[in-house]
Amino acid sequence: MISNNGLLKRAWPMITQSAEAHRKPRWLPVAKSKIYRIPKRPVVSEEERLELSRINNNYNTQMRAIRRFFNDEMIREKSSLESDTSELSLKLEAEEWARCVELNEQWNAQVAAEREERRKQELAAMEEYALTRMEAKDKEIKERIEKASIAIKTQTELSASFITPENLDEAIDKALANPVDHNFAIDLKGNMYPGRDTPIKLQEEKQQKTAEAATA
Amino acid sequence: MPSLPSASGTGMYYMRAAKSIRLIRQGCTNRPFYHISVTHRKRLNSQPVIEQLGSYDPMPNMYNEKLVALNLERLKFWLGNGAHVTNPVAELLGLAGFFPIHPRSYMTAWRNRKTEKERVAAEEAEKAKAESS
Repeated sequence: MISNNGLLKRAWPMITQSAEAHRKPRWLPVAKSKIYRIPKRPVVSEEERLELSRINNNYNTQMRAIRRFFNDEMIREKSSLESDTSELSLKLEAEEWARCVELNEQWNAQVAAEREERRKQELAAMEEYALTRMEAKDKEIKERIEKASIAIKTQTELSASFITPENLDEAIDKALANPVDHNFAIDLKGNMYPGRDTPIKLQEEKQQKTAEAATA
Repeated sequence: MPSLPSASGTGMYYMRAAKSIRLIRQGCTNRPFYHISVTHRKRLNSQPVIEQLGSYDPMPNMYNEKLVALNLERLKFWLGNGAHVTNPVAELLGLAGFFPIHPRSYMTAWRNRKTEKERVAAEEAEKAKAESS
């Protein structure tokens, strides 16, 4: 808005307008053309005065009556609007109540429908969940059984080669008869010479011989 | 700087204050136009009114009629609320039939009749004199 500072400093040209009609201020003296004015006294004849007073009295009486009537009507209307026991207000209240009840019923029905939907969905979800879990459990059990059966099978297959007290002697004899030697030698060419005591042939043998001759 | 008020009324009022239904002069220079509105009695005519209840155009239109508009429903309400009515408005309402006829209307009527009679009598006298001479 217009700041006080701006007004004080007269920062811009201000033009004001007034919506009131101009009147001479009361502290200005009366104009010279008006100081000796004598207002003319209105002449009212006697009969006119009497007639006027009569009709004025009548008029005032009637106006008082009219005002009182309007006042009473307003009071009556106000009281009827605000009263709780009047028929009209009771009827209005009853109508309002019926309307509210109906609306509430509607809302209840809607909410019930939604609830029903939700319940069904939840039930379906629960069922599905339970079903999946059961299936998973079944699958797990089946897998375990399978694994166990495989293990059993392998064991039964292997049991054929188990050494029992009956097979003990036989096994010992067989083991002693067939010694297993894991030692081997390998040369640069990639030839493998299995066995701990396997003699190495040809050049290696010649070298061995020469080495023996040198030492001897 | 007083700006133009809302002419059809703000609707805001003090309940216990004295109110009056009166003519508020709007319009331009040499062309008056009155709003019949209800205001607080102490308010100036340039200040906002409570509610406008009608209008009155004192300049006769091309059919030689002075048009008056009145909102009787709201007028009844405000009269019930205890609003006073100024003399010009009371005269208008009397002529409209809502109030009894104002004494001033009767007075202007018989004064006009008297002046008319005197004027006619003077004309007759002049005509008679002119004829006789």
